Amino acid sequence: MISFRLSKILTNTVTYIILTAFALVMLFPFLYMFATSLKTPNDTFTYPPRLFPREQSTIELAGYDDPLPLYFVSAEGEKREFALVESGVPAGVYADPDDLETAYTVPLTFVKPAMGGGEFTLPDGTVQELMDVPVEGEILQLVQVNRTALGRFVDPDDTTKEVYQVVRTSEPVTKITAHPENYVHVLKMENMERSLTNTTLITIFVVVGQMVTSVMGGYAFARLRFPGRDKLFLFYLGTIMIPFVMLIIPLYQLMVLFGWTDKLASLIFPWIFTAYGTFLMRQFFITVPKDIEEAALMDGASRFEILYRIFLPAAAPALATLATFTFLYAWNSFFWPLVIINTGNYENHVLTLTLNMLRGRASDSANLILAGAAISILPPFILFILGQRFFIESAMSSGVKG
Amino acid sequence: MHKDAEPKDVKRIENIINIVTGWHFFLSLAGIILLFFIIFKQLFSDLPSWLMFIGTISTIFFAVASFFAGYQLIKRTRVGRTTSLVVNYLGFVFSFIALLQVLGVFLGVDALAKTFGSGIGWLAGVFAGYLIHAAGDQFHFRINIEEMFHKTGKYIAVVFFTIFLFRVGLVQALIFLGKRLIIPSNLIIAILVVLFGIAIWLMWREETGIYLHRNNAQTEALEGYLFLSPNLLGFLIFFAFPLVFSFYISLTDWDAFGNSNFIGLANYFTIFKLNLKPLASATQNFIQVMDGSVYSELLRFNVFGKYYVLGAADARFWISLRNTLVFCVVTVPLSATPALLLANILNSKIPGMKIYRAIYFLPSIAAVVGISLIWQWLYNATIGYINYFITLGLQFINSIFATSYPIAQIRWLSESRTALLAIIIVSAWQTMGFNTVLFMAGLQNIPKELYEAATVDGAGKWARFWKITLPLLAPTTFFVITTTTIQALQVFEQVFIMTNPPGSPGTSTLTIVLYLYQNGFQRFQQGYGAAIAWVLFIVIFAVTLIQFRSQRRTGAYDV
Repeated sequence: MISFRLSKILTNTVTYIILTAFALVMLFPFLYMFATSLKTPNDTFTYPPRLFPREQSTIELAGYDDPLPLYFVSAEGEKREFALVESGVPAGVYADPDDLETAYTVPLTFVKPAMGGGEFTLPDGTVQELMDVPVEGEILQLVQVNRTALGRFVDPDDTTKEVYQVVRTSEPVTKITAHPENYVHVLKMENMERSLTNTTLITIFVVVGQMVTSVMGGYAFARLRFPGRDKLFLFYLGTIMIPFVMLIIPLYQLMVLFGWTDKLASLIFPWIFTAYGTFLMRQFFITVPKDIEEAALMDGASRFEILYRIFLPAAAPALATLATFTFLYAWNSFFWPLVIINTGNYENHVLTLTLNMLRGRASDSANLILAGAAISILPPFILFILGQRFFIESAMSSGVKG
Repeated sequence: MHKDAEPKDVKRIENIINIVTGWHFFLSLAGIILLFFIIFKQLFSDLPSWLMFIGTISTIFFAVASFFAGYQLIKRTRVGRTTSLVVNYLGFVFSFIALLQVLGVFLGVDALAKTFGSGIGWLAGVFAGYLIHAAGDQFHFRINIEEMFHKTGKYIAVVFFTIFLFRVGLVQALIFLGKRLIIPSNLIIAILVVLFGIAIWLMWREETGIYLHRNNAQTEALEGYLFLSPNLLGFLIFFAFPLVFSFYISLTDWDAFGNSNFIGLANYFTIFKLNLKPLASATQNFIQVMDGSVYSELLRFNVFGKYYVLGAADARFWISLRNTLVFCVVTVPLSATPALLLANILNSKIPGMKIYRAIYFLPSIAAVVGISLIWQWLYNATIGYINYFITLGLQFINSIFATSYPIAQIRWLSESRTALLAIIIVSAWQTMGFNTVLFMAGLQNIPKELYEAATVDGAGKWARFWKITLPLLAPTTFFVITTTTIQALQVFEQVFIMTNPPGSPGTSTLTIVLYLYQNGFQRFQQGYGAAIAWVLFIVIFAVTLIQFRSQRRTGAYDV
């Protein structure tokens, strides 16, 4: 019994480990996107990469106008946060004439010529004086072998405590800070505000238009008898499988004929008549019981009334599924806008096109590009959180889509 | 039936029918005159020939149908009414679309987009109105309170929507339309719309219908086509016609300026033109064995010690085909296998299943463009996370086995060995969650009793998976593989965004659709592009057919 329970716990643990590992793989790129979109430009180029947006911590000290950057220094045998008050302090590298390998870096102002004096010739031929050099509380007699610059760090709590060390190799103290103004900035670039409006407008038109035509067509296929209905329906079914790529060139020519190239109309009207939507609504309407409809017909209701009052309310879940599907299609489409909207015409760009432009224009600012990507990815995510069911159902209903 | 009607009414109905009959004869006469003008190149002579052809055919069709309607109306038959309604309805729809087009309504979307941003805030008011309306449903027990809420909500929504319309420039739009409408040629179309509308109304009326022996079947058929018509007409214009037209384009040398000559199957011959020649040595120059102005080298290979070279008239097409097939063959299992595993785990009704499912689904709802941008940075050679994770792994191995692998600096997207692989990983990652959901739907259809029975018979977990789950899941598996394959064969956006220039380095990520795009919209050889599209379609069709066949052969169960 115990072994059974144990194996159950073990299985569950393994299961959750696998599931979580995959979940991390799925989520990580999006986390990366959001985190990077809040970074400063410099912060995007750190190696090893760090996920969260970080910035150098600073501190205000009395007597200094600007906030001072904080660094980790080793003082009194422990790692502490000190403020950098002065950088580029001239310093010398000193070593024992007998052991040139172990060197100490000390600011020049701390060093005095040694009492005894004496000169040494270094291996490179220069002649150096012997100096009194303070090292860790002791005075050592050393010679200068090199010159460098140090930073002067002070303890923020007690500004008399000073430490000198090389700034470049010091580890800065960082804190997590977000820069949401990246989003504002990117919206101003490449006319993105306008393209966000365009995408919204197009999506609304396509979703509403496709729902109207699909509901009407689906109702006709499901409930009205007319000659040629079944053949037409078969024809519709057969075309679902035909990929969009087939249509791109002739549709482009059609748009040229209508004078719609470069116009938002070309992104809307060809996309509101779909066989798939009609098929989806037809499959739903065929399950609605006939009695109510027949009773309404007896009472003299017109077909439009029946559709509006009986079928539409019942079809809410199917409509939501169709709307979800269409929304994703319209919001995310890229190939057709790329073909039909001129790259020079910023007025009519959609979001995906702007992202494509941004990729070239801000190619070294990961924070801006990913803020742009987040703007295009967030709306579907928000809708997904609100209506997860319909997204999953639209995926499952595509099980009939070949 | 009309015998019951009053003589005065009968006279009026007769008059109405006579007017419509006259209208139909007038229409067919006008059609014939128009036809003469078209044939003798007096009108529309600057239009391309294919359009002239379509215009001529539809004018003939329209004139004949109109004549037929008039003839049948003289005989006072039911068919006459049906034909008349259909002709007038089509005339109405097309003249109305033409009116919208000449008035510039379709292009008004651009103007709307310009002002939409300034008015969009007011739509929140409409939404608030809707919320108030919906809140009224809470008060079912007090009908007057419910009514009050509904009314207030409705008024608020209407008021805010009106403000919205004015903000986005309703007045300017109406003035613009008015100005366009009074242009004589536009006015004629508008009058035509009205005339067609009147004709429909006259024929549709109850008394005309009864007089012309309408019956339920006729009404239902007319209503059926009426409901279907928006969808059907749009579908014919934007889908069926372009599909046929695409084939025609593929038979021409269509270019950027719309010049086209019919060249038969020449485009297809160019695509498929291959040439195989033996080589004297492995390194012999290609030009020595084949005409370099026609063929370019595709590949060299060695059979039984003899070297051959394969040349193709369009080597880039074959390279793109190979890349696409490789992409497909790797992506589909890479996406479907983990999906199958995850679906099986998630199907066991463990707590938190919905959260995991939602997380897996996320990538498939994001724009491919956005996804590609993210991964482009993840793949970055110096600061990207992919190389960083590989480095961490290598350091771990180094610390255990005392090896000394260096830190990873793979230039994923700019090295020809890894570029295609990088894109494969992104695509598999993006489609996996979607396939998981599909597999879960399939798993739920498998009866639980089968598993219970198998467990009683002593089948272990693996046996149950291989003997029950997999065979019964075959239809879903088939579907998942087919759709993922079809999608993978059309890969374009990932390549376009992630590689720079698209298809680089060299031709290592050149896919068929990308090649189609380059031909059709960069070199503007649209005829050739259309031919490539048809070849792609044949490939897709063949793949689907093969998978369909193999599914039948394995005898998938229908559950």
